[in-house]
Amino acid sequence: MPVEKSFEPAIVAFCCNWCTYTGADLAGLNRMKYPENVHVIRVPCSGRVNPQFILRAFQKGCDGVMVCGCHPGDCHYSTGNYFTRRRFMIMKRLLEYNGIDPERFHARWISGSEAAKFRDTAAEVSEHVKKLGPNVKYREEFRITESAEAGT
Amino acid sequence: MSEKQEKMRQCAEKLLRDGEAGYVIGWGETRFDDRTTPIFVEDPAGAGAFVWNEYAINSLAKYLLDDKYPDKKIGLFTRGCESRAINRLLKDNQIKRENVYLIGVPCDGKKSDRCTLCRERNPILYDVLLWTPEDDPPPAAGRFDRVKDIEAMSPDERYVYWGETYDSCIRCYACRNVCPACNCRECYADMSKTGFQGKQHSRSDNQIFGVTRAFHVGDRCIECGECERVCPMNLPIMGQTQKILKDINELTGEYECGMDATSENYLGRFDLDDKDEFM
Ligand code: SF4
Ligand code: SF4
Ligand code: FES
Repeated sequence: MPVEKSFEPAIVAFCCNWCTYTGADLAGLNRMKYPENVHVIRVPCSGRVNPQFILRAFQKGCDGVMVCGCHPGDCHYSTGNYFTRRRFMIMKRLLEYNGIDPERFHARWISGSEAAKFRDTAAEVSEHVKKLGPNVKYREEFRITESAEAGT
Repeated sequence: MSEKQEKMRQCAEKLLRDGEAGYVIGWGETRFDDRTTPIFVEDPAGAGAFVWNEYAINSLAKYLLDDKYPDKKIGLFTRGCESRAINRLLKDNQIKRENVYLIGVPCDGKKSDRCTLCRERNPILYDVLLWTPEDDPPPAAGRFDRVKDIEAMSPDERYVYWGETYDSCIRCYACRNVCPACNCRECYADMSKTGFQGKQHSRSDNQIFGVTRAFHVGDRCIECGECERVCPMNLPIMGQTQKILKDINELTGEYECGMDATSENYLGRFDLDDKDEFM
Protein backbone atom coordinates (compact mmCIF):
# COMPACT_ATOMS: atom_id res chain seq x y z
CA MET A 1 0.00 0.00 0.00
CA PRO A 2 1.69 3.25 -1.10
CA VAL A 3 2.03 5.84 1.66
CA GLU A 4 0.54 9.05 0.39
CA LYS A 5 2.33 12.26 1.28
CA SER A 6 -0.78 13.70 2.83
CA PHE A 7 -1.49 10.70 5.03
CA GLU A 8 -3.59 11.68 8.00
CA PRO A 9 -3.93 8.90 10.55
CA ALA A 10 -7.19 7.97 12.24
CA ILE A 11 -6.70 7.64 15.96
CA VAL A 12 -9.35 6.85 18.51
CA ALA A 13 -8.95 7.80 22.13
CA PHE A 14 -11.14 6.05 24.70
CA CYS A 15 -11.43 8.65 27.45
CA CYS A 16 -13.02 8.14 30.83
CA ASN A 17 -15.86 10.51 31.56
CA TRP A 18 -14.55 11.78 34.88
CA CYS A 19 -10.94 12.67 34.12
CA THR A 20 -9.59 12.53 30.62
CA TYR A 21 -12.80 13.54 28.91
CA THR A 22 -13.03 16.53 31.25
CA GLY A 23 -9.37 17.23 30.54
CA ALA A 24 -10.05 17.20 26.81
CA ASP A 25 -13.03 19.48 27.40
CA LEU A 26 -10.83 21.88 29.32
CA ALA A 27 -8.34 21.85 26.47
CA GLY A 28 -11.19 22.97 24.23
CA LEU A 29 -12.32 25.67 26.65
CA ASN A 30 -8.80 27.02 26.75
CA ARG A 31 -8.70 27.06 22.95
CA MET A 32 -5.78 24.66 22.91
CA LYS A 33 -5.20 23.00 19.57
CA TYR A 34 -4.73 19.27 19.24
CA PRO A 35 -4.63 17.24 16.01
CA GLU A 36 -8.10 16.70 14.62
CA ASN A 37 -7.30 13.09 13.70
CA VAL A 38 -7.67 12.12 17.35
CA HIS A 39 -11.29 11.06 17.80
CA VAL A 40 -12.49 10.98 21.38
CA ILE A 41 -14.90 8.28 22.52
CA ARG A 42 -16.32 8.85 25.97
CA VAL A 43 -16.52 5.84 28.28
CA PRO A 44 -17.78 5.84 31.88
CA CYS A 45 -14.42 4.62 33.21
CA SER A 46 -11.20 3.38 31.68
CA GLY A 47 -12.16 0.02 33.19
CA ARG A 48 -15.00 -0.07 30.66
CA VAL A 49 -12.57 -0.50 27.80
CA ASN A 50 -12.70 -4.08 26.67
CA PRO A 51 -9.49 -5.13 24.90
CA GLN A 52 -11.82 -6.23 22.11
CA PHE A 53 -12.46 -2.53 21.38
CA ILE A 54 -8.78 -2.12 20.51
CA LEU A 55 -8.77 -5.06 18.13
CA ARG A 56 -11.99 -3.91 16.49
CA ALA A 57 -10.62 -0.40 16.09
CA PHE A 58 -7.59 -1.72 14.20
CA GLN A 59 -9.82 -3.99 12.18
CA LYS A 60 -12.13 -1.17 11.16
CA GLY A 61 -9.29 1.04 9.98
CA CYS A 62 -7.80 2.96 12.91
CA ASP A 63 -4.09 3.59 12.72
CA GLY A 64 -3.63 4.16 16.42
CA VAL A 65 -5.58 3.66 19.64
CA MET A 66 -5.36 5.40 23.00
CA VAL A 67 -6.93 4.43 26.32
CA CYS A 68 -6.99 7.23 28.87
CA GLY A 69 -8.32 7.44 32.39
CA CYS A 70 -7.88 8.97 35.83
CA HIS A 71 -4.56 8.63 37.61
CA PRO A 72 -4.35 5.53 39.82
CA GLY A 73 -6.07 6.37 43.10
CA ASP A 74 -8.36 8.94 41.47
CA CYS A 75 -10.82 6.67 39.66
CA HIS A 76 -14.41 7.82 40.19
CA TYR A 77 -15.29 4.19 40.94
CA SER A 78 -12.25 3.82 43.22
CA THR A 79 -10.64 0.79 41.62
CA GLY A 80 -11.58 0.70 37.92
CA ASN A 81 -8.27 1.96 36.64
CA TYR A 82 -6.25 -0.49 38.72
CA PHE A 83 -7.87 -3.22 36.68
CA THR A 84 -7.28 -1.20 33.51
CA ARG A 85 -3.62 -0.97 34.38
CA ARG A 86 -3.15 -4.73 34.71
CA ARG A 87 -5.33 -5.54 31.74
CA PHE A 88 -3.51 -3.28 29.34
CA MET A 89 -0.07 -4.17 30.59
CA ILE A 90 -0.90 -7.68 29.39
CA MET A 91 -2.79 -6.61 26.28
CA LYS A 92 -0.06 -4.23 25.15
CA ARG A 93 2.50 -7.01 25.30
CA LEU A 94 0.17 -9.40 23.51
CA LEU A 95 -0.42 -6.90 20.71
CA GLU A 96 3.31 -6.42 20.26
CA TYR A 97 3.78 -10.17 20.31
CA ASN A 98 1.30 -10.36 17.45
CA GLY A 99 3.24 -7.83 15.44
CA ILE A 100 1.44 -4.53 16.16
CA ASP A 101 3.90 -1.68 16.49
CA PRO A 102 4.05 -0.49 20.14
CA GLU A 103 3.65 3.11 18.94
CA ARG A 104 0.16 2.33 17.74
CA PHE A 105 -1.26 1.61 21.14
CA HIS A 106 -0.97 3.90 24.16
CA ALA A 107 -2.51 4.01 27.60
CA ARG A 108 -2.18 7.22 29.65
CA TRP A 109 -3.45 8.71 32.88
CA ILE A 110 -4.72 12.24 32.29
CA SER A 111 -6.69 14.08 34.96
CA GLY A 112 -9.48 16.61 34.51
CA SER A 113 -7.11 19.50 35.03
CA GLU A 114 -4.36 18.26 32.73
CA ALA A 115 -5.60 19.86 29.54
CA ALA A 116 -2.05 20.46 28.38
CA LYS A 117 -1.10 16.86 28.96
CA PHE A 118 -4.04 15.77 26.86
CA ARG A 119 -3.02 18.09 24.05
CA ASP A 120 0.63 17.01 24.21
CA THR A 121 -0.22 13.32 24.32
CA ALA A 122 -2.60 13.62 21.39
CA ALA A 123 -0.01 15.52 19.36
CA GLU A 124 2.75 13.08 20.24
CA VAL A 125 0.75 9.97 19.40
CA SER A 126 -0.54 11.48 16.19
CA GLU A 127 2.95 12.39 15.09
CA HIS A 128 4.36 8.93 15.82
CA VAL A 129 1.53 7.22 13.99
CA LYS A 130 1.87 9.56 11.05
CA LYS A 131 5.49 8.51 10.71
CA LEU A 132 4.55 4.85 10.81
CA GLY A 133 2.03 5.25 8.01
CA PRO A 134 -1.32 3.52 7.62
CA ASN A 135 -1.89 0.40 9.66
CA VAL A 136 -2.45 -2.74 7.59
CA LYS A 137 -2.24 -5.32 10.33
CA TYR A 138 -5.61 -6.61 11.47
CA ARG A 139 -7.37 -4.47 8.85
CA GLU A 140 -10.47 -6.17 7.52
CA GLU A 141 -10.02 -4.94 3.94
CA PHE A 142 -7.03 -7.17 3.51
CA ARG A 143 -8.00 -10.60 2.36
CA ILE A 144 -6.01 -13.63 3.28
CA THR A 145 -3.80 -13.76 0.21
CA GLU A 146 -3.18 -10.04 -0.13
CA SER A 147 -2.29 -9.42 3.46
CA ALA A 148 0.56 -11.91 3.25
CA GLU A 149 2.42 -9.32 1.19
CA ALA A 150 0.81 -6.37 2.89
CA GLY A 151 2.53 -7.26 6.16
CA THR A 152 4.72 -4.18 5.92
CA MET B 1 -1.22 -51.73 33.36
CA SER B 2 -4.02 -54.24 33.61
CA GLU B 3 -3.74 -54.39 37.39
CA LYS B 4 -4.42 -50.69 37.57
CA GLN B 5 -7.22 -51.05 35.06
CA GLU B 6 -8.72 -53.76 37.25
CA LYS B 7 -8.60 -51.44 40.27
CA MET B 8 -10.36 -48.73 38.31
CA ARG B 9 -13.12 -51.07 37.20
CA GLN B 10 -13.64 -52.39 40.72
CA CYS B 11 -13.76 -48.92 42.18
CA ALA B 12 -16.27 -47.70 39.59
CA GLU B 13 -18.41 -50.78 40.06
CA LYS B 14 -18.52 -50.33 43.83
CA LEU B 15 -19.40 -46.65 43.55
CA LEU B 16 -22.25 -47.41 41.20
CA ARG B 17 -23.51 -50.43 43.13
CA ASP B 18 -23.52 -48.51 46.44
CA GLY B 19 -25.34 -45.68 44.76
CA GLU B 20 -22.61 -43.24 45.77
CA ALA B 21 -22.27 -42.02 42.20
CA GLY B 22 -24.95 -41.71 39.52
CA TYR B 23 -22.45 -42.42 36.78
CA VAL B 24 -18.72 -42.57 36.29
CA ILE B 25 -16.73 -40.84 33.55
CA GLY B 26 -13.63 -42.58 32.23
CA TRP B 27 -12.01 -43.88 29.08
CA GLY B 28 -13.32 -46.74 26.95
CA GLU B 29 -12.21 -48.74 23.94
CA THR B 30 -12.83 -47.79 20.34
CA ARG B 31 -12.50 -49.70 17.07
CA PHE B 32 -8.88 -48.62 16.95
CA ASP B 33 -6.14 -49.97 19.14
CA ASP B 34 -4.49 -46.61 19.46
CA ARG B 35 -7.57 -44.59 20.44
CA THR B 36 -9.80 -44.38 23.46
CA THR B 37 -12.96 -42.38 23.90
CA PRO B 38 -14.53 -40.83 26.98
CA ILE B 39 -17.39 -42.99 28.26
CA PHE B 40 -20.13 -42.48 30.83
CA VAL B 41 -21.14 -45.60 32.73
CA GLU B 42 -24.33 -45.79 34.83
CA ASP B 43 -24.77 -49.53 35.22
CA PRO B 44 -22.45 -51.31 37.71
CA ALA B 45 -22.32 -54.24 35.31
CA GLY B 46 -20.83 -51.95 32.68
CA ALA B 47 -17.78 -50.97 34.72
CA GLY B 48 -15.75 -53.49 32.78
CA ALA B 49 -15.74 -51.08 29.85
CA PHE B 50 -13.19 -48.74 31.44
CA VAL B 51 -9.68 -48.94 30.07
CA TRP B 52 -6.36 -47.54 31.20
CA ASN B 53 -3.57 -47.50 28.66
CA GLU B 54 -1.19 -45.03 27.05
CA TYR B 55 -4.00 -43.79 24.80
CA ALA B 56 -6.27 -42.61 27.62
CA ILE B 57 -5.49 -39.06 26.56
CA ASN B 58 -8.62 -36.88 26.71
CA SER B 59 -8.95 -34.67 29.75
CA LEU B 60 -12.33 -35.52 31.27
CA ALA B 61 -13.05 -32.65 33.63
CA LYS B 62 -14.85 -30.39 31.19
CA TYR B 63 -17.73 -32.88 30.88
CA LEU B 64 -18.76 -31.84 34.38
CA LEU B 65 -20.12 -28.62 32.90
CA ASP B 66 -22.71 -30.57 30.94
CA ASP B 67 -24.40 -31.72 34.14
CA LYS B 68 -24.15 -28.99 36.75
CA TYR B 69 -27.06 -30.12 38.93
CA PRO B 70 -26.74 -33.91 39.11
CA ASP B 71 -29.04 -36.00 41.32
CA LYS B 72 -26.15 -38.04 42.60
CA LYS B 73 -22.44 -37.44 42.57
CA ILE B 74 -20.57 -37.78 39.31
CA GLY B 75 -17.63 -40.17 39.52
CA LEU B 76 -14.59 -38.99 37.59
CA PHE B 77 -11.20 -40.56 37.03
CA THR B 78 -8.79 -37.81 37.96
CA ARG B 79 -5.16 -37.39 36.95
CA GLY B 80 -3.01 -34.32 37.48
CA CYS B 81 -4.48 -32.47 34.53
CA GLU B 82 -8.09 -33.30 35.46
CA SER B 83 -7.51 -32.16 39.02
CA ARG B 84 -6.09 -28.83 37.89
CA ALA B 85 -9.05 -28.39 35.57
CA ILE B 86 -11.40 -29.14 38.48
CA ASN B 87 -9.65 -26.51 40.58
CA ARG B 88 -10.22 -24.12 37.68
CA LEU B 89 -13.94 -24.97 37.52
CA LEU B 90 -14.29 -24.72 41.31
CA LYS B 91 -12.56 -21.36 41.43
CA ASP B 92 -14.71 -20.09 38.57
CA ASN B 93 -17.81 -21.20 40.48
CA GLN B 94 -18.86 -23.61 37.77
CA ILE B 95 -19.23 -26.81 39.78
CA LYS B 96 -19.68 -27.80 43.41
CA ARG B 97 -17.09 -29.97 45.07
CA GLU B 98 -19.79 -32.08 46.74
CA ASN B 99 -21.27 -32.96 43.36
CA VAL B 100 -18.22 -34.88 42.22
CA TYR B 101 -16.47 -37.98 43.44
CA LEU B 102 -12.87 -37.90 42.30
CA ILE B 103 -11.10 -41.19 41.79
CA GLY B 104 -7.41 -40.36 41.82
CA VAL B 105 -5.36 -42.19 39.19
CA PRO B 106 -1.71 -41.08 39.13
CA CYS B 107 -0.66 -40.85 35.51
CA ASP B 108 2.42 -42.34 33.88
CA GLY B 109 2.38 -40.06 30.83
CA LYS B 110 0.36 -40.80 27.73
CA LYS B 111 1.17 -40.94 24.03
CA SER B 112 0.33 -37.33 23.34
CA ASP B 113 2.28 -34.16 22.73
CA ARG B 114 0.37 -32.48 25.47
CA CYS B 115 1.98 -34.77 28.04
CA THR B 116 5.45 -33.52 27.18
CA LEU B 117 4.55 -30.24 28.88
CA CYS B 118 3.08 -31.92 31.93
CA ARG B 119 4.53 -31.11 35.31
CA GLU B 120 1.77 -32.54 37.49
CA ARG B 121 1.07 -36.21 36.94
CA ASN B 122 -0.52 -36.91 40.28
CA PRO B 123 -3.97 -35.64 41.17
CA ILE B 124 -3.87 -32.61 43.43
CA LEU B 125 -7.31 -33.31 44.85
CA TYR B 126 -9.22 -36.57 45.00
CA ASP B 127 -11.57 -38.55 47.21
CA VAL B 128 -9.73 -41.81 46.84
CA LEU B 129 -6.31 -42.61 45.38
CA LEU B 130 -6.12 -45.94 43.58
CA TRP B 131 -2.36 -46.46 43.54
CA THR B 132 0.86 -44.88 44.69
CA PRO B 133 1.78 -41.54 43.12
CA GLU B 134 4.13 -41.51 40.17
CA ASP B 135 7.32 -39.49 40.03
CA ASP B 136 6.73 -36.14 38.41
CA PRO B 137 8.74 -35.62 35.25
CA PRO B 138 11.70 -33.27 35.66
CA PRO B 139 10.52 -29.65 35.60
CA ALA B 140 10.10 -28.74 31.97
CA ALA B 141 13.11 -26.51 31.51
CA GLY B 142 11.53 -25.02 28.46
CA ARG B 143 8.15 -23.93 29.78
CA PHE B 144 8.30 -20.72 27.73
CA ASP B 145 10.84 -21.70 25.06
CA ARG B 146 8.46 -21.34 22.15
CA VAL B 147 7.36 -17.91 23.34
CA LYS B 148 10.97 -16.80 23.49
CA ASP B 149 11.51 -17.99 19.93
CA ILE B 150 8.60 -15.91 18.70
CA GLU B 151 9.64 -12.89 20.76
CA ALA B 152 13.02 -13.02 19.08
CA MET B 153 11.44 -12.32 15.68
CA SER B 154 10.92 -8.84 14.28
CA PRO B 155 7.42 -7.33 14.63
CA ASP B 156 6.65 -7.98 10.97
CA GLU B 157 7.84 -11.56 11.19
CA ARG B 158 5.64 -12.03 14.23
CA TYR B 159 2.67 -10.62 12.36
CA VAL B 160 3.28 -12.95 9.44
CA TYR B 161 3.85 -15.90 11.75
CA TRP B 162 0.51 -15.45 13.50
CA GLY B 163 -1.26 -14.29 10.35
CA GLU B 164 -0.26 -17.42 8.49
CA THR B 165 -1.12 -19.53 11.49
CA TYR B 166 -4.64 -18.12 11.67
CA ASP B 167 -5.11 -18.22 7.91
CA SER B 168 -5.72 -21.94 8.32
CA CYS B 169 -7.98 -21.65 11.36
CA ILE B 170 -11.38 -23.02 10.33
CA ARG B 171 -13.13 -21.43 13.35
CA CYS B 172 -14.50 -24.74 14.56
CA TYR B 173 -14.10 -23.47 18.14
CA ALA B 174 -12.91 -26.87 19.31
CA CYS B 175 -10.13 -25.12 21.24
CA ARG B 176 -12.77 -23.18 23.12
CA ASN B 177 -15.07 -26.12 23.71
CA VAL B 178 -12.41 -28.30 25.26
CA CYS B 179 -10.80 -25.67 27.48
CA PRO B 180 -11.60 -25.83 31.21
CA ALA B 181 -10.94 -22.09 31.50
CA CYS B 182 -13.45 -21.35 28.71
CA ASN B 183 -16.53 -21.89 30.81
CA CYS B 184 -18.93 -19.04 30.06
CA ARG B 185 -22.44 -20.26 29.38
CA GLU B 186 -22.55 -18.17 26.24
CA CYS B 187 -19.38 -17.33 24.37
CA TYR B 188 -18.77 -13.87 22.95
CA ALA B 189 -17.85 -15.57 19.67
CA ASP B 190 -21.41 -16.91 19.38
CA MET B 191 -23.08 -13.56 20.04
CA SER B 192 -23.36 -12.65 16.41
CA LYS B 193 -25.51 -9.56 16.97
CA THR B 194 -23.17 -7.71 19.34
CA GLY B 195 -20.50 -7.07 16.75
CA PHE B 196 -17.70 -8.28 18.98
CA GLN B 197 -16.50 -10.92 16.58
CA GLY B 198 -16.88 -11.04 12.81
CA LYS B 199 -17.79 -14.41 11.33
CA GLN B 200 -15.90 -14.07 8.07
CA HIS B 201 -13.14 -16.43 7.19
CA SER B 202 -10.60 -13.67 6.81
CA ARG B 203 -7.17 -13.27 8.31
CA SER B 204 -8.35 -10.30 10.31
CA ASP B 205 -11.37 -12.00 11.88
CA ASN B 206 -9.45 -15.20 12.51
CA GLN B 207 -6.62 -13.34 14.21
CA ILE B 208 -9.01 -11.36 16.32
CA PHE B 209 -10.66 -14.58 17.41
CA GLY B 210 -7.28 -16.08 18.24
CA VAL B 211 -6.03 -13.13 20.27
CA THR B 212 -9.34 -12.72 22.07
CA ARG B 213 -9.59 -16.39 22.94
CA ALA B 214 -6.09 -16.23 24.34
CA PHE B 215 -6.84 -13.08 26.32
CA HIS B 216 -10.05 -14.52 27.78
CA VAL B 217 -8.30 -17.58 29.16
CA GLY B 218 -4.65 -16.52 29.35
CA ASP B 219 -4.47 -15.65 33.04
CA ARG B 220 -6.52 -18.72 34.01
CA CYS B 221 -4.90 -21.27 31.68
CA ILE B 222 -3.78 -24.45 33.46
CA GLU B 223 -1.45 -25.39 30.60
CA CYS B 224 -3.14 -28.73 30.00
CA GLY B 225 -2.46 -28.59 26.26
CA GLU B 226 -5.98 -29.72 25.33
CA CYS B 227 -6.59 -26.78 22.97
CA GLU B 228 -3.64 -27.74 20.81
CA ARG B 229 -4.46 -31.41 20.94
CA VAL B 230 -7.98 -30.94 19.62
CA CYS B 231 -7.19 -28.32 16.97
CA PRO B 232 -7.93 -30.09 13.67
CA MET B 233 -5.52 -27.75 11.90
CA ASN B 234 -2.69 -28.38 14.36
CA LEU B 235 -2.24 -24.70 15.12
CA PRO B 236 0.33 -23.80 17.80
CA ILE B 237 -2.21 -21.71 19.71
CA MET B 238 -0.72 -22.26 23.14
CA GLY B 239 1.99 -19.88 21.95
CA GLN B 240 -0.53 -17.11 22.71
CA THR B 241 -1.71 -18.21 26.14
CA GLN B 242 1.83 -19.10 27.17
CA LYS B 243 2.89 -15.57 26.26
CA ILE B 244 0.35 -14.14 28.70
CA LEU B 245 1.50 -16.54 31.41
CA LYS B 246 5.12 -15.65 30.75
CA ASP B 247 4.38 -11.94 31.11
CA ILE B 248 2.49 -12.53 34.35
CA ASN B 249 5.39 -14.59 35.64
CA GLU B 250 7.71 -11.72 34.85
CA LEU B 251 5.42 -9.09 36.38
CA THR B 252 4.48 -10.82 39.64
CA GLY B 253 6.79 -13.77 40.10
CA GLU B 254 5.97 -17.46 40.01
CA TYR B 255 2.45 -17.89 38.64
CA GLU B 256 0.70 -21.11 37.81
CA CYS B 257 -3.03 -21.87 37.65
CA GLY B 258 -5.13 -24.74 38.89
CA MET B 259 -2.86 -25.66 41.78
CA ASP B 260 -5.60 -24.81 44.28
CA ALA B 261 -9.22 -23.71 44.12
CA THR B 262 -8.80 -20.39 45.92
CA SER B 263 -6.08 -18.26 44.27
CA GLU B 264 -7.51 -15.32 42.38
CA ASN B 265 -6.45 -15.09 38.76
CA TYR B 266 -4.14 -12.27 37.79
CA LEU B 267 -6.63 -10.11 35.92
CA GLY B 268 -9.34 -10.65 38.51
CA ARG B 269 -7.54 -8.67 41.17
CA PHE B 270 -5.06 -5.81 41.42
CA ASP B 271 -2.31 -4.56 43.62
CA LEU B 272 -1.86 -0.91 44.55
CA ASP B 273 1.86 -1.32 43.92
CA ASP B 274 1.47 -2.75 40.43
CA LYS B 275 4.04 -1.52 37.99
CA ASP B 276 2.84 1.64 36.24
CA GLU B 277 3.88 2.01 32.64
CA PHE B 278 1.16 4.43 31.68
CA MET B 279 2.19 7.63 33.45
S1 SF4 C 1 -3.83 -25.27 27.69
FE1 SF4 C 1 -5.46 -24.65 26.25
S2 SF4 C 1 -7.23 -25.96 26.82
FE2 SF4 C 1 -5.78 -26.06 28.55
S3 SF4 C 1 -6.46 -24.41 29.98
FE3 SF4 C 1 -4.88 -23.50 28.62
S4 SF4 C 1 -6.02 -22.54 26.93
FE4 SF4 C 1 -7.44 -24.00 27.96
S1 SF4 D 1 -9.42 -25.57 17.27
FE1 SF4 D 1 -7.90 -24.74 15.79
S2 SF4 D 1 -9.07 -24.51 13.83
FE2 SF4 D 1 -10.61 -24.76 15.50
S3 SF4 D 1 -11.11 -22.62 16.10
FE3 SF4 D 1 -9.45 -23.31 17.48
S4 SF4 D 1 -7.54 -22.61 16.48
FE4 SF4 D 1 -9.18 -22.53 14.90
S1 FES E 1 -13.52 6.92 36.31
FE1 FES E 1 -11.69 7.57 35.30
S2 FES E 1 -10.58 5.69 35.25
FE2 FES E 1 -12.32 5.08 36.40
